[in-house]
Amino acid sequence: MSPSPALPVAVPMLSAAFLAAFRKWLPRFVVDLLAVVAALFNLVLCVWLLRLSWFKDIVYWFGNWFPRGHMVVGIGFLVDPLGAALAVVAAFLTLLALIYSWGSMESGENHYQPLMLIFLAAMSGFCFTADLFNLFVFFELMSTAAFALCGLKTEEPAPLQGSFNFAITNTVGAFFTLTGLAILYGATGALNMAQMGWLLGTRHDSLVLTACLFLITGFLIKAAIVPFHFWLPDAHSVAPTPVCVLFSGLMVELGLFAVLRITTVIFGSTFSGIPDPLRGCFLVLGALTAVWGGVMCFAEHHLKRVLAFSTISHSGMMLFAMGLGSRMAIAGWLIYVCAHAAIKSGLFFTAGILLHRLRSMSEPILHAKGKPLKFTAALWFLGACGLAGLPPFALAVGEDMVSHSTHGSPEIAATILFLISGIFTAAAVLRVFMRVFCGWGDSGPSDASAQINELPESHEENQVIPFRLFAPAAVCIFSGIALTFLPSLRLLSLKASGRFIDQHGFVASIYALPHVLAGVVDPGPSEVGSMIAHGSIAVICAAILAAWAVFHPRIPRLLRWPSHLEGRMSWARQIQSGQPADYVVWAMMGVAVMGSVFYIMR
Amino acid sequence: MTATTLFNIVPYAVAAWLFFCGLYGIITSKHLVHTVISLAVLQTSTYVLLLAIGFRWQGVAPVFADLSPGVVTVDPVVQALMLTDVVVEATVVALFLAMVVKAHEKAGTLSPDDLKMMRG
Repeated sequence: MSPSPALPVAVPMLSAAFLAAFRKWLPRFVVDLLAVVAALFNLVLCVWLLRLSWFKDIVYWFGNWFPRGHMVVGIGFLVDPLGAALAVVAAFLTLLALIYSWGSMESGENHYQPLMLIFLAAMSGFCFTADLFNLFVFFELMSTAAFALCGLKTEEPAPLQGSFNFAITNTVGAFFTLTGLAILYGATGALNMAQMGWLLGTRHDSLVLTACLFLITGFLIKAAIVPFHFWLPDAHSVAPTPVCVLFSGLMVELGLFAVLRITTVIFGSTFSGIPDPLRGCFLVLGALTAVWGGVMCFAEHHLKRVLAFSTISHSGMMLFAMGLGSRMAIAGWLIYVCAHAAIKSGLFFTAGILLHRLRSMSEPILHAKGKPLKFTAALWFLGACGLAGLPPFALAVGEDMVSHSTHGSPEIAATILFLISGIFTAAAVLRVFMRVFCGWGDSGPSDASAQINELPESHEENQVIPFRLFAPAAVCIFSGIALTFLPSLRLLSLKASGRFIDQHGFVASIYALPHVLAGVVDPGPSEVGSMIAHGSIAVICAAILAAWAVFHPRIPRLLRWPSHLEGRMSWARQIQSGQPADYVVWAMMGVAVMGSVFYIMR
Repeated sequence: MTATTLFNIVPYAVAAWLFFCGLYGIITSKHLVHTVISLAVLQTSTYVLLLAIGFRWQGVAPVFADLSPGVVTVDPVVQALMLTDVVVEATVVALFLAMVVKAHEKAGTLSPDDLKMMRG
């Protein structure tokens, strides 16, 4: 017996409908229990599907509308190991988020649990679907649930503004995607991605390139790539903690997943034989995003904004890995995404503990207040080491695989970018650690965003930290370590990525044609020495940079300049204007630049 | 220019026009309700585009119950897509307007300039 791939979408959707309808008459713990059980059931289903998909892609046609000849008439789901792995991460994070919010997040008015389950359903469907329009619908479902979840605390204007910026930017992106989809449908008459890719072949006229540009724009906005990233810090600084976990842990990465799926399945042969503008754009934008996200991360003083910018930086590194594009790079990408999800979620949960206990997210206000919280401090410190890519965190394995996937200058560029991204993001997190948990230095500079008042998520007694808050944070951090020790992790991820980037394999699965999977050589265990060296350099540099900022009044004036990265970035912060109109203009400029590159390289 | 070519070009021109109108509206907006409606205008461009792609010269409505095989019809798939699109838009615009109402309640203003809580 094997489970239907439709179940991970149907189960949370139906539970959400049930909860939304009967929530008023059910006691709170029943609502929580039902939501947690639905998420747990989804986790089991997705793990099961992952195991089954290991040997052969699972293809499921809704209503048994099988393809007739070369014509795909129905809507299909295709479960491959990489998509299933991301669905497992989605279910895992949703489960932890629901446990975290057990009994808090007053649901009477704001439909928290049903929205979380709809979000989960949309993410699962997004990972599995083989139909482009279906992908768009799940994208919109995910976005709409996310907008509502982001603005959940409607008692204050700030969440509304953050949610509004998020919603405007992402909806404009969705319309770009829809326009690209419509053009592609006009060009091919197909909606199934395999059929589209097969019909397009090596066609690369301006119509196809425009469609490609418009399609990926929407997903790049979701993935918070510079210059499409402005919505992300605004959304994260106001969203409730468990929602932040889902945003940073997976939603952003799913944008990249969609770009990867579209560029491999639909446009997989488009650029064969001619220079590939996509690769170049991905490498440049990825590098830009990694550096800019890191620098801005260090300049922020609102804990959730610090973590939000570090997500941007890591998202840039993921895009860079996609630009490298080889099987090994995508395998590293997969490990990097999973490890990043675990570590970043752990950090967000830990920030949530601080919010619960100390009622603030502002670094200057929290200064030295975290001294009694030893266990929280330990989790925060481990999270910082994880972001820097220190073994045994699995992020190090991902970084190692991505940088060793090429030779020569791309390898050096990847190594340096991973170092920059790791150093700046870990330095910002370590700076918070030194100021808040150790009480070192003064309270440091502040800024407008750090003053955003955040309402507590629960009204219970805040002198003790309940187990439900600690457990998810600890589980996340330790699963970031445990992933490294998964037997033959590198071989498994190589198999998954090889299947994922194989356009002909996808087409063969959809049409049930025979297809020989490309063989894979076991890469063996990774070079622990270079990983430890890389990770230690990142952690030590991050600690020095953080200490520099914390102790900057004691440092001679001439040597203070690195600490100016923290306080004096006003020109950079002004770009982050808080106005959705500006964000849309930046996104349009990004589209224009990418379009020119496409046009020139055509 | 014959009528057929005109019919082939005009819908796409209208779609592009609406697309840029919507974008211009969002970018220059000084009022949150105006922003939301501009977004709705942007979305209408996708309706026009989808319907234009499915249009067939002298095609009839795709109700196959009383049509003999071989009769040219317009493409029913894009009409289904457009309908889904309408549902999506209705949800999104409703959510947006709810946010705008709440923002007006809490902040007492609908100008994005006065709502700049978050900067930097």
